[in-house]
Amino acid sequence: MSDVAKPRNPEDDWKIWLVINPATWLMPIFYALLVLAIAVHWVVFSVGLGWK
Amino acid sequence: MASLSGLTDQQAKEFHEQFKTTYTAFVSLAALAHLLVIAANPWW
Repeated sequence: MSDVAKPRNPEDDWKIWLVINPATWLMPIFYALLVLAIAVHWVVFSVGLGWK
Repeated sequence: MASLSGLTDQQAKEFHEQFKTTYTAFVSLAALAHLLVIAANPWW
């Protein structure tokens, strides 16, 4: 496994789309982002940092 | 040789350009939102 070429980022970032197909995974990525944003807001409000 | 995702290099690069643009817009909007919160109600 160690002879696999190491990516140089960010110039090789685009190659992720050679592995995951955005037609399949773009919406799941967006939903994961939405879940994360809701979770962060939930925590911020639960520790009392929301608008009073 | 077909890629794992089925996209060609050209398609992957083309999609990545749009992905970077949209992500930059998202981060800019989030940064603006954070500045507004800091202005209204700093959390420190």
